[in-house]
Amino acid sequence: MSKSLLIISRQPPWSGPTAREALDIALAGGAFDLPIGMLFLDDGVFQLSTAQQPATLQQKDLGANLQALPMFGVEALYASTRSLQERGLERQKLNLAVELLDDAGLTALVARYDQVITL
Amino acid sequence: MTTLHMLSHSPFSDSRLSSCLRLLGPGDGLLLCGDAVYALQPGSAQCQALELMPESIGLFALDEDLSARAIAGPQRLQAVDYPGMVELSCRFDKVNSWL
Repeated sequence: MSKSLLIISRQPPWSGPTAREALDIALAGGAFDLPIGMLFLDDGVFQLSTAQQPATLQQKDLGANLQALPMFGVEALYASTRSLQERGLERQKLNLAVELLDDAGLTALVARYDQVITL
Repeated sequence: MTTLHMLSHSPFSDSRLSSCLRLLGPGDGLLLCGDAVYALQPGSAQCQALELMPESIGLFALDEDLSARAIAGPQRLQAVDYPGMVELSCRFDKVNSWL
């Protein structure tokens, strides 16, 4: 049985390569049928906001990669309720179906996985 | 002497914005670019604080950073392009970049 891996993505989408790299790890792991979970925390939740236009910054959209997660078998997707609330993001307006977790839920989530990476 | 304060980091991941708000004086300006435009996210405490700044303080943001992140900003916000940014940095006596 492969070890389960939780990827915690906490960087915003357009100011560096980190958000995309976290997503690449998830997609690569998914392609190899590893049990992968992804948690959007802190500024990472900005990746989930809709109607973004990264082309104005000469950047490629992350949205398509995010939508690909379930297709690659990465279906355990989570976001922190607190991070969303602090940033005024509403769950109905997210571009991806994620399960929202409060702080106690986050602790339980991390405890459940064999390995964790935070980017 | 008026100062244009320029921020480019997310206000949710460090304290530059809150420190800057304490330093702003009458006639100063605040220019948000890069991830600093997340401060204009409606419904956040940061956006509320910006809306409550005295009228004499100009609130500016770089247009392309706003549209990339799908952020509109409050009524008082003036969006600027790069030539506008250059004009702003000449309009104030000095520029303070919060690197």
